[in-house]
Amino acid sequence: MSEHTSQTRGMTTVPPLVLLAIVVVTIGLYPLIFGQFMNLGISILLFAGFALAWDILGGWAGQNSLGNAVFVGIGAYSVAILHQFGIAPWWGMLVGIGVSGLLAWGWGALTFRLRGSYFTLSTIAVAEIIRLIALNEDWLTSGSEGKNLGSLPSLFGLDLFDRRVEFYLVLLFVAALLAFGHWLKTAKLGFYLRAVREDEDSAMALGINPARAKLTAFVLMGMFTSIGGGLWLLYLGRIDPDTALVIPVSIQIALLAIIGGRGTIYGPLVGAFIIGIPSEIFRSVLKEANLLVYGVLIVLVIVYLPKGIVGTFEEWLYKRQHPLEKRGS
Amino acid sequence: MEFFSQGLQGLIDGLLTGGVYAMIGAGMSLIFGVMRVVNFGHGDFVILGMYAAFASNQYLKLDPYVSLLVVLPLAFVFGFVLHRAILAKLLGANDQTTKLATLGLGLIATNLVLLQFGTEPKTVYTEYATNAWRIPLFGLELRISEVRFYAVIITALLIFGLNMMLYRTELGRAIRATAQNRLGAELQGVDTKKIYAIVYGIGVVLAAAAGVLLLPLLSATPTLGSVFTNKSFVVTILGGLGSLPGAIGGGLILGVVESLGSSLFPLMNSHFGANYRDAYGLIIFLIVLLFRPEGLFGRTVKRV
Amino acid sequence: MKKIGAVVGVSLLAAIGVASLGSAQNATLKIGAITTLTGRLAEFGRQQKAGFTVAINELNAKAGSKGQQFELLLEDSASDVNKGLAAAEKLVNGNVGVILNEYSSSIVKAQAQYLSRQKVPNIIVSASDESITKPGFDYVYRINPPTDEYAKVLFQIFTDTGIKSMAILAGNGAFEKSVQASALEQAKLKNVEVVGNQVYDKGLTDFRPILNGFKARNPDAVFLVGYQEDSVAVMRQAKEVGLNPKLFAGGAAGFALPEFITGSGSASEYVVTATAWVPELKTPGNKNLYIKLVNALGGSEPTYHAAQGYAAVLVAADAIKRAGSATDREAINKALLSTDLQTSYAKIKFENFEGYKNQNRVSMVAEQVQKIGGRLQFVPIYPRSLFDAKLLFPTPAWDKR
Repeated sequence: MSEHTSQTRGMTTVPPLVLLAIVVVTIGLYPLIFGQFMNLGISILLFAGFALAWDILGGWAGQNSLGNAVFVGIGAYSVAILHQFGIAPWWGMLVGIGVSGLLAWGWGALTFRLRGSYFTLSTIAVAEIIRLIALNEDWLTSGSEGKNLGSLPSLFGLDLFDRRVEFYLVLLFVAALLAFGHWLKTAKLGFYLRAVREDEDSAMALGINPARAKLTAFVLMGMFTSIGGGLWLLYLGRIDPDTALVIPVSIQIALLAIIGGRGTIYGPLVGAFIIGIPSEIFRSVLKEANLLVYGVLIVLVIVYLPKGIVGTFEEWLYKRQHPLEKRGS
Repeated sequence: MEFFSQGLQGLIDGLLTGGVYAMIGAGMSLIFGVMRVVNFGHGDFVILGMYAAFASNQYLKLDPYVSLLVVLPLAFVFGFVLHRAILAKLLGANDQTTKLATLGLGLIATNLVLLQFGTEPKTVYTEYATNAWRIPLFGLELRISEVRFYAVIITALLIFGLNMMLYRTELGRAIRATAQNRLGAELQGVDTKKIYAIVYGIGVVLAAAAGVLLLPLLSATPTLGSVFTNKSFVVTILGGLGSLPGAIGGGLILGVVESLGSSLFPLMNSHFGANYRDAYGLIIFLIVLLFRPEGLFGRTVKRV
Repeated sequence: MKKIGAVVGVSLLAAIGVASLGSAQNATLKIGAITTLTGRLAEFGRQQKAGFTVAINELNAKAGSKGQQFELLLEDSASDVNKGLAAAEKLVNGNVGVILNEYSSSIVKAQAQYLSRQKVPNIIVSASDESITKPGFDYVYRINPPTDEYAKVLFQIFTDTGIKSMAILAGNGAFEKSVQASALEQAKLKNVEVVGNQVYDKGLTDFRPILNGFKARNPDAVFLVGYQEDSVAVMRQAKEVGLNPKLFAGGAAGFALPEFITGSGSASEYVVTATAWVPELKTPGNKNLYIKLVNALGGSEPTYHAAQGYAAVLVAADAIKRAGSATDREAINKALLSTDLQTSYAKIKFENFEGYKNQNRVSMVAEQVQKIGGRLQFVPIYPRSLFDAKLLFPTPAWDKR
């Protein structure tokens, strides 16, 4: 009930395009300052992208998907499989987008009758089934061994194995998502989604078709995530079901967005950095147990900052700008 | 003839596996039924139970079944405290938020186990774990694993005990009242916060008990948590969230579907078999979720 | 003022001390190595590490305090392919001249491709998937036998004991599938009927439907391939289910670990497994090696992985010596091509034959879990020309033990 206010207010003090430009350029400086930590930078940025895509459905439409690993996998495998036939990665990515879109459309159409937790459970089930398919149908996916990228064609003369090139490609991906978020804030679709999220029945009363709005969000989420999946394949040089299609990936994506702030434009990006950096620092101490950081942070954020970091910040900003306005409980 | 023998053995194995699934699902079902919270970390508590039993075996030299006496009370205290300390703060929030908090708790639990015990699978060897009764029937020799049979008996006892508690004791009435209408219960003088903590504690006990019973049969691995959480989702949806007898039914159905799928499909084709085992249960899960989300035995739930 | 002076003075001394230490360390010859020290394959990594350590200590003892010391830069792949690649990347950037690589075939394959592309010499220690050296890669050398050898020794036993039919159960990783393929090939060559052939996902814990399916077909032999916890679970369930072939044959890996015996207890008796090395082998210095490995493992029994780790280090050191440098990758690569070294593990010589590239020709032996003096242990039994102990055949049914 007080959630939507942070949506419509937000960072009105700075024009959106300027803000976007500042953020993108700042991140763009990373390779120049932290050149030896390119791997870290790319993976944080990539997961920020996944989280931003997740937020389209999770934050704006209020439906939590815990199965986004599927779209990551489709994106990655499409590029990898077609690559074996000599098809360039960008075409592979387009195919990935298409397949993801189709899957999301069919899947969404079936499951949007479900509310809340039931929907989330269905995403988990579908993701698991697809993981099993990828694992067993080795004629297509090479099973648990996965696919390797032996060589890559050059994109406009750029070496796609070069970490810097990969970084800027991922940054482009994230920038596109951020721009999309800005657009969503003032577009009709954005309003429909927020209405559906707040109160589905009232939205219907206004003539909005909740299923259609949610479906659109789902398909968009799937397609964007798929692009990220293709980029991930370039970065890793290989893909297999255990890397891309497992539940921890889906959980990570959702959590980054939630911790950062759902429904805010920059929330998932902030979440990715806030989690990614300590997580890496803890990795040398805790090794595999670095997910402990995730767990602790989620619990802390959910209990004390239920709107996420950026969400809480925006709310604070709003309160400062409107000190006389009384707020409900 | 092979179909019949494999089918019958598969059925028996499925019922035995299903018994333990029922225990895992019952905990989640109870928590949802009373608190309307999907405990996303449930499978991780099963893992905690496994490791607790392993630790008792390692340091106290206790047989896993004996360690139930140690682990269960600890599990209750753990769940109770966990709820009081953390989840109670979220009582006003919507269930999406609480759901994610339980996910976070599950992550913490699993990773603490990882830190303490390492990632290598841990096995406990008991001589009796592989014993099986042989039953001649219809000219076939059917096998029933002793250990798994006892696990089912213990599960049944625990669940029936729980059900009795719910319907015959004052505490049970308080729990049911809280489940039906929290505000109303508060008005009647029930300390609903404490009830919630108690219920969560019971849920953790059931999960931990399942873990202990599974230890002689499996190796304890920290990463198995999500597998068990998934199984408990399936069980609770099949049986209907909030229904304990439903959890038994759901568990048995899941066990049988997985087992029969793995035993019978290979006889009909060379492609689908045990390799898609988990998928069989998940497909039934999706079908029930889409067409009868209140479960096969549950009460009606609001739909769009 | 005095205090500051003292602090500066001490820090200077310390800095000089550290700098001189550093320069002394720069004189060590570094060998890179990656293995699975944590994760589900940690036990194998532990064995390899013990082998590495014994070899490094041996080399350094021989060099004495005047000679150049060897140093092992050991990275953990944590049983994860991506982490393995990250570890390889780290070593490549750290200027090592040669990298010893690893246990798991799935992890090694990715690393081998990467290191070959980076032109860094890479010695495979235990990973046995055929495709790693067939067709193989430049810069990649393997000291251990490929899976065809695993299958060959077991089929030798099958032929000698008159096995006519078998069922195979293998995990879905690269290694297991390679053993399975090798076994199927051998079955065709030796006219053994394959009555069951199943692949399982490593998350699977319930093998009963598969084992029951095998039971109904009544195979003479059951061929099993899997890692640690799978091998234990399979044997336990085989006992529970009452699967009674004349022989259980394990494709090394999980079946050759001491933990297999402790985990499955009485269910492990009579199981035969292929293995690449046993302490009873009469190679030069083997008895000594065994003792050193036991010490390095804190008293546990060493497996073939430890012996392979040991040999790999010796091969790397030998190549470094002949190349005259620990960092010149091309020179080391050239030196490796002409390796001809006798170790307690086996003779090491990299050859190209039958489609293999840079593969050491070495066969496997087979051991069986037998009760000696009331205790279950591995007893080498094949080839009969090398060992005295007899294969116990046929395996008695579960209820008759």
